[in-house]
Amino acid sequence: MAQGLGTPRGEFIASVRRRLGRRAGAPDSPYPALGEELASLEERGRQAMRRLQEGRGALMARMAATAELRGWRVCRAANSEEALDYLRETIQGLSARLAVRSHEEVFRETPVDDLLAGMGVRVQVMARGDDREGGFDPASADVGITGADYAIAETGTVVLVPRRGVSRLVSLLPPVHVALVRGPEVVEGLDDLYLFRRLEYHRRGGDMGSYMNFVTGPSRTADIEQTLVIGAHGPRETHMIILEG
Amino acid sequence: MVGKARIRASLFVTCLVDQLFPRVGVGVVRALRSQGVSVDFPPDQTCCGQPLFNSGFRKEAAALARRTLKSFAHSDRVVVPSGSCASMMKVFYPDLFRDDPEWGPLARDLSGRVHEFSQFMVNVLGVTDVGAAYEGRVAYHPSCHLLRELGAVDEPVSLLNGVKGLERVELPEAGVCCGFGGGFSVKHAGISEAMLKDKVDNVVGTGARAVASCDAGCLMQIGGGLSRRGADVRAVHLAEILGGVA
Amino acid sequence: MAGVKMREFRRASARALADDKLQSFLGRSMGTFDGAREEAIEELSRQRWDELRERGRAIKRHTLDNLDYYLDMLCDRVSQNGGHTHFAKDSDEARRIVGEIARARGAKLAIKSKSMVSEEMELNPFLESMGVEPVETDLGEYIIQLAGEAPFHIIAPAMHKSKEDVGELFEKKGIGLPNLKEIEAMADAARVALRGKLIAADMGITGANFMVAETGTVALVTNEGNGRFCTSVPRTLVSIAGMEKIVPCLEDLAVFMRLLPRAATGQRISSYVTHVSGPRRPGDEDGPEEFHLVIVDNGRSNLLEDPDLREALYCIRCGACLNACPVYRKVGGHAYGWVYPGPIGAVVSPALAGLDKGKELPYASSLCGACKDVCPIKINIPHMLLKLRSSVAEGAERGGTKASLGERLAVKGYGWLMSRPRALSMARRLGRWMQWPVARRGLIRRAPVPPFSRWTRSRDLPALAPRPFRDLWRRELAEEE
Repeated sequence: MAQGLGTPRGEFIASVRRRLGRRAGAPDSPYPALGEELASLEERGRQAMRRLQEGRGALMARMAATAELRGWRVCRAANSEEALDYLRETIQGLSARLAVRSHEEVFRETPVDDLLAGMGVRVQVMARGDDREGGFDPASADVGITGADYAIAETGTVVLVPRRGVSRLVSLLPPVHVALVRGPEVVEGLDDLYLFRRLEYHRRGGDMGSYMNFVTGPSRTADIEQTLVIGAHGPRETHMIILEG
Repeated sequence: MVGKARIRASLFVTCLVDQLFPRVGVGVVRALRSQGVSVDFPPDQTCCGQPLFNSGFRKEAAALARRTLKSFAHSDRVVVPSGSCASMMKVFYPDLFRDDPEWGPLARDLSGRVHEFSQFMVNVLGVTDVGAAYEGRVAYHPSCHLLRELGAVDEPVSLLNGVKGLERVELPEAGVCCGFGGGFSVKHAGISEAMLKDKVDNVVGTGARAVASCDAGCLMQIGGGLSRRGADVRAVHLAEILGGVA
Repeated sequence: MAGVKMREFRRASARALADDKLQSFLGRSMGTFDGAREEAIEELSRQRWDELRERGRAIKRHTLDNLDYYLDMLCDRVSQNGGHTHFAKDSDEARRIVGEIARARGAKLAIKSKSMVSEEMELNPFLESMGVEPVETDLGEYIIQLAGEAPFHIIAPAMHKSKEDVGELFEKKGIGLPNLKEIEAMADAARVALRGKLIAADMGITGANFMVAETGTVALVTNEGNGRFCTSVPRTLVSIAGMEKIVPCLEDLAVFMRLLPRAATGQRISSYVTHVSGPRRPGDEDGPEEFHLVIVDNGRSNLLEDPDLREALYCIRCGACLNACPVYRKVGGHAYGWVYPGPIGAVVSPALAGLDKGKELPYASSLCGACKDVCPIKINIPHMLLKLRSSVAEGAERGGTKASLGERLAVKGYGWLMSRPRALSMARRLGRWMQWPVARRGLIRRAPVPPFSRWTRSRDLPALAPRPFRDLWRRELAEEE
């Protein structure tokens, strides 16, 4: 299916051009952002990083506040002990038997597996590639635990992108999602996020991975009588642990 | 107005006012003259063409527009006691003749000289208190074209606030259309009636003695609905109040 | 979907007005979205909101004015990501493309995330006819799929259904336990019924809220999480999009992700925004093996071609104009007779399905302009309705006028009369004489002839005044000067 089905690309685009009454070629008034050189993007990226660095304290507070408004239960943890304490309380309230988590660096600093095992919760880790003997069944899990690639303070959003050892399903299938967010992953707004991702796209020669998911609080629907119901197809309960240390 | 050149204005009275609500025209003339404006009335004026334009008949509307352009070719300023007719002349004439080398420039020129009545009072003359008096509670219904094509949010309200004895009451859902819409009122009479019912409910609910507006179309609709319901509320044009003829 | 029924607007709207249950629902509910939107805008500040609207509008204008260029770029970048782009000039071609993909992959079960284009092309019956089971996964879409109805609203397709309606429907279709009473239980029943399908599906079909030319990305905005299922679980992913959905640059999304949820539901952001840039890469743990993007024209060129109508394609389908429209609020979504209801539908539907079929819709408006006020892209809908009315009346395109003879005669007569002040004055005298039997104290309560009789059904009509203003001027006012 390398060849497109339907109307050939050239024909379709020529028809659009004809209906527009336009000549072929780039727009007469160029789109400044698209003409931007990588160096200039990098510079904007550095500026944004500096701004984020300088406002770190306030940023964490804003992150926590917006996340709470958007339906996350939020824990601001000064260190990984506090984070584990919060996780323990959370799991205790769930009567969970099976947890799934992705394979990420954050779990080296905040080792959740022993804690969970100690509480009688089986932990399955998204193993690399085809090494999956331990089993990995997010559809049966009571809780899914992930890190975050970014978090957006403006919107209270956790951003997840593909990595080795990361499944899209951990934050989707189990009824409870716990996201561990590390301080440096927090950005101020949507502008920062899209700038950083764009930078990544161009740095990698035109690839930013197959997906990027924004998760903002629990899944919800208001499709019957405009009445809000929390917990549609995704998790009904979402926890954000912000590791500020 | 001592020491200033007298402001001259031509009245475009609109066909509805001419035929159905002539007192509105009298109110406009009195209100303008109370501020020292010299008013004239070009006698060959008829209709701006809006009803035809809104039904999609641009050629026929253009014929009436050309008539109107001629009638007011020599006027310093044109005052129109209707948000929708003023929109027609200010906004849609230039659109109607945008590719017309002969009439296009005239349309664009007139557009700059046309003023809806309340905007003329407040923005050109700079008055909000014309010395008028009217006893009782009055609700204000902003007509859609005045509000959204011409952007008049405050002008009519500040003029009403300047009237002695008048107690202005807020009309709930004031900015929602009364359902007139010209031909819409008979083409889709059922929907128009349903919209009117809400408007009349809201007006009656304020306990006002009158509902004021700046468009004869809305007054015809709201007034017709009020009188059919037997409500003791009058629909009046702002100019009737300001001109002391309400 | 039950086909195109735009011609029946008058009858359908009369039915809607007579439907007490619908009227009580509309009266109760239509303000909810409106209020939520206003609250979200206030929180952001109106000034910031207007800045965002201007930016959004400028981006859309630039993109649509150069659409061929950005389509080309998008297509390149999608291939670079390892995906396939297909172009469909009409519904028929779009259906066949999706069908061909399903056939080639041997798909049996397709899960769908809400897509207006797929409604437009009536994809579901087509898939069924070829043995593929399409399952709508957005709760609202799922409900109307079960009921076999068209969407009532762009973002809340089943909003007209009461919980009793839904409970009854679920019972009839065997969804959940019988006799469900609570909304939460119904949502849960749907979730349980759909979960198995979501896991087992071999094809995912989505729409696209935005497509980013620069990176070959499709962005989906959802609240339930169904969009994430459709893009994560099945082997094959097909996104279908109207060709106008492009923005040039990834950073442009920062503008639209602020505009869309606020305008639609008053949310600061939706629960999920999913960005898909092609199929899974080597090293990804899961995700679709194949990604297809189907780009659909289906009459959009008609809007593109006309500089007066092009901005209809700026629409981001938030539904704000429906919520604000006093006509929609009286007749509801089904009266419009096709996929896109309300003010924007009155512009888009006739262009997509043909002005012949949709000539009633541009008149289904009092031209009040509330739609333009709330539009996050400041689309001037009333001006486009006027333009379409002139296409209908004057038959600028597609051979001849669509206006009735009676209307044309009335227009000619009015134009003639208004060009001749003396004839007007005579007609006036005639009118005064004719209204004498029915006018009392300046009002006509019951006019015997149309169109006046339609007016006086529920409103009094002012009679012609004893003297027109021009006489008063001549007799009294001119001398005062």
